[in-house]
Formats: sequence, C-alpha cells, structure tokens
Amino acid sequence: MSTTEAIEVEISGLSKEFDNDGQTVVALDGIELSIKRGEFLTLVGASGCGKTTLLRIIAGLELDYEGEIDLEGIPIRGPGVDKGVVFQDHRLLPWLTVEENVGFGLFRHAEQERRQLIQHYVDLVGLRGFEKAYPNQLSGGMAQRAAIARALVNKPKILVLDEPLGALDAMTRIHMQNEIEKIWRREKVTMVMVTHDVEEAVYLSDTVALMSSRPGRVKKIIPINLARPRNREDPAFQALRKEILTEFQLQTKAQFSYEI
Amino acid sequence: MSANDLSLAEAKTSVFITSPNVRSPARPKNRRAARSHSRRVPDLVLESIVPVTILVIWDLVTRLQWVDPVFMPTPLSVARAFYDLLFKDRLLLDLKVSGITVLEGFTIGAGLGLATGIAAGLSSTVDKLIGSILNSIRQVPPLAFLPLIILWAGAGDTGKIVVVSKAVFFPVFMNTLQGIRSVAREYVEVGRIFEYPRLRMLRKVILPAALPSIFVGIRYGAGMAWFMIIAAEMLGGRHGLGYLLTRAQELLLTDQLLLVIVIIGLIGFSVDVGLRRLERRLLRWKRGFEG
Ligand SMILES: Nc1ncnc2c1ncn2[C@@H]1O[C@H](COP(=O)(O)OP(=O)(O)OP(=O)(O)O)[C@@H](O)[C@H]1O
Ligand SMILES: [Mg+2]
Repeated sequence: MSTTEAIEVEISGLSKEFDNDGQTVVALDGIELSIKRGEFLTLVGASGCGKTTLLRIIAGLELDYEGEIDLEGIPIRGPGVDKGVVFQDHRLLPWLTVEENVGFGLFRHAEQERRQLIQHYVDLVGLRGFEKAYPNQLSGGMAQRAAIARALVNKPKILVLDEPLGALDAMTRIHMQNEIEKIWRREKVTMVMVTHDVEEAVYLSDTVALMSSRPGRVKKIIPINLARPRNREDPAFQALRKEILTEFQLQTKAQFSYEI
Repeated sequence: MSANDLSLAEAKTSVFITSPNVRSPARPKNRRAARSHSRRVPDLVLESIVPVTILVIWDLVTRLQWVDPVFMPTPLSVARAFYDLLFKDRLLLDLKVSGITVLEGFTIGAGLGLATGIAAGLSSTVDKLIGSILNSIRQVPPLAFLPLIILWAGAGDTGKIVVVSKAVFFPVFMNTLQGIRSVAREYVEVGRIFEYPRLRMLRKVILPAALPSIFVGIRYGAGMAWFMIIAAEMLGGRHGLGYLLTRAQELLLTDQLLLVIVIIGLIGFSVDVGLRRLERRLLRWKRGFEG
C-alpha cells in the first residue's frame, strides 16, 4: 500500500494501570505493536479492554504509563499537532461554528491560507453550506465529520480515531467508511482507528489488531491483504470477517463467563 | 453488550448492499429568529396583562378616594410629579449622577471580580492565598463600609463607588471562579492537542466555556449595583435618585416618592433586559430550555 515500509509508531512493553479509589485496574498489559507509515490499523476488542486508553497514549494525552512508545523514533512526550485525534464523542467546541471548529488548530497560519485550508477540509468531509452552523445544529454524523476535518487540517503524521462512526446509522456509516478511506488515501496519513464493527475493520484496514480484556492485550494481529477498493461481497472478505468475528466472540464469551 | 453490537454489525452486511443514500445537507435554519418573529406581539400582550391590571386598580382605588392621597396619590398626580421633577426640578441631574456612579462602581467591581476570579480559577495557590480573606469580606454588607470610607475620603462619590464595586465584585468573582473550575477537561484537551499557548487557551477555550456562568454573576452583580447605589445615596450625600427618595420623604411628597420608586424599578428592569439580550447574543450557541 504505502511506498515506504518505515515504522511510524513503535510500542513496546506498554502497560497502563488506573487507580480507581484504591482499586487498581490494569487497562493495558504488555502491548507490543508496530504501526507502519501510511498504514491503516484498526483496534477491535470488547468494551473496556483499553482501546481508548491506548489511543490516548498514542496521542500523548496520557503520559503516566510503563513501557515505550515512539513516533518516528522519538518518544511521545505529549499531545501535539503531529498527532490528530478524533474522539469517541466529537468534542467540537459548542461556542464555535463549524468553520471555526475546523480551523481551531490553524492559529499560526496567515488568514488567507487559513481560509483555504478550512474550505478544503470542510469540502472534503462534505459539510459545505454548514460553515456557519453551530455544533448543536448538526446531526451526530455531521458533527463527527467536522471533528475529522478539524483533526486533519494540520496534516498530522498520524490520526487516531476512537469509534468515529459509532453514533451513525448503518447507511451513513457505510458512506462515511468510504469517505474515511478516500481521505486516508488522499492525505496519506497513518490511521489508527477503534471500532466495534468487524466488517468496518476488514473493509478499511491494512491490519486488524484484536484486543483481549482484563488485562488489555493485543491478542492477535490480522493482516488484511485484499485489494482496494474492497468488495464486501467478496468471499475472501467474508471469510476474513467470519474469522475475526469468531475469534472476537470466543474471547468476549470467555471474558463474560469469567465475570459472571 | 458487545455480543449484541456484533450481531448488529453482522446484520448490516446483508441488508445494506446498495450504495448509501445520504441525507443531502440543507441550510440550517435559524430557529430562534423564526420563532420570536411569529410570537413577538402575543408575548408583549402577555407580559403587559399584570402591570396594566395593577395600574387600573391603582387608578380606581385612588380616584374613588378609598385611601388618603397623602398615602397613595393617583397615577395622574404621579405623572404630573414626573413632569415637574423633569422640567422644573433636577431629575435629569440626579439620574445622571446615579447612573455615572453606578457605572463606575460596576466597572471597577466587575473588572476586579473577573480578574481575581480568573486568577483564582486558574491557580489554586492564588485561590488559597486570597480565598479566606475574600470570604470574610464577603460576609460584611457593602453598606457597612460606607462610614469608614466617608471618614477616609469625605462624603463624596468614593464611598458610593466602593459600596457598589464591593456588591458587584463578589457575584462576578465567585461565578467566574466557579465557571472556570467547571470547564470540561475534554475541551482543554482539544486545546492541548493543537498546542495552544496558555493565554490562547484562556481566551479561546476556558473563558468561552465559563461565559455562561460568568454572565450569571454579571447579571446578578448589575442588580446588586443598582440596589446599592440607591441605598448609599439615601444614607448620605445631596444628589442621586436615592437622595430624591429621602428628600421626598422629608417633604411628604408621596407622589414623588412613588415616582422615584417606579423610575428605579424601570431602570433596573431595562438594564436586566438589555443584559439578557446581550447574553442571548453571546451565548447563542447554547440551546437551552426556553419554556
Ligand atoms: N480515567 C480513568 N480512570 C480510571 N479508570 C479508567 C480511566 N479510563 C479508563 N479506565 C479503565 O480502563 C479500562 C479501559 O478503558 P477504555 O476506556 O480504554 O476502554 P475501551 O476499550 O475504550 O472501551 P469502550 O469500547 O467501551 O470505549 C476500563 O476498565 C476503565 O474502567
Ligand atoms: Mg473507548
């Protein structure tokens, strides 16, 4: 897919614990993961297995952990414009219009360039005509698209997306999957995305990382070597989907019987 | 839970094969503008019913002389008092004096309250340094400072300005502090992702998020300021609406007394309506419960 095979993000021995009122929760335990430059990687796993935590660590928002995580060979020391984030909730600032939200990260640019970039990304996510709308006037899907535009506008090296399509209806969701793939191809950005939807993972990813919970570990790495654009009806596609689903269900079942 | 999600995800596959037909974007319409336009006239009628009724009853009661005019003059004589006070007396001057003094006091109090509130909101060290002393001062009614300040600075406007500023300072300070403390960390995180410097974070994230709360303080403070200037003028000095009240009481001019009360009420009301408009403009992104 990408021309270079360079490593973008290298995670080794990553563990993260939370202290919940004296009780220790091991959110991540010994994560090993390499993400190549330009790769599309999805994280799939049961609720509470640490996907958001892992994304937050990649984004530099969580600094209190054990192990190592490098972006292009340099340890991640904090959040920054090279690491775009699309949160599980869209997190648009409610007092800013769509265009102001999209341009939120562009304050170091000249006005003219700022305008152009905003328009480019507003168009890219199909929000033309809604530039002056406030987030509370948008549908969930539109808000999530605006959030994607805001994250892309600084041309980050890596974009992490936390269930960006989770709130969408099935139709819009498939449309947005195509949009995200287009954006990924056009912007050549490394993407790490969390999803609960196995089909979505197979449709979009170069690699699916399947996580197990309590403690959160990367249980299996599944490369998806299907030609793009992918055909959801393709038997090879369906086979991969089934394989991951089975794997996933086995481990969620194990988790829940363990808990009950 | 996730087992359910998965079976849902599976169901989607078989159902949605055709190319998705996504809602075409329509222009967001300005809901509030559309609504208030169609409702403006009925609103005005609705809001006038009670005041007009009171006026009619007042007129009836006094015209029929059910009460002694010394205690309760007719609306007409109050209107005449307005004419006299405005054109033959000093109403304009007193209005101006009260207005300017209250504006000065309000500006100082609100400015200091905002600045101190921001400082204490951003730094818990500052909060600890000044928190208890401010809380002690807060317990003292603003007017209690008046004699001391008159002793220091004479019976000029200084005392009134201090009283008003003190009354405005605390609501603005406390609501600013509270507003900043309750800014969602999630929003600050968005600023951090885009490497916002401190000042920009304050201007673009923290203050806008705290603005609804700050505005509560400002509106409440404006009301307090108006109370306090009238009260302070009643206690000392030779001008202002408060002084007119004292003078009318001494001269037993009941119509003037009533008139000044009505004027004070109307001015306070207009200021609050104006502030509410401003608030709605500034916070138009906030869609709350509108009744
Ligand atoms: N700030 C926090 N404080 C304490 N515990 C936390 C915190 N954030 C996450 N956890 C715990 O860490 C674990 C992993 O949480 P995380 O949010 O990463 O899960 P997730 O995989 O994203 O789940 P979901 O799919 O439901 O979003 C959970 O057990 C959660 O209780
Ligand atoms: Mg999550």
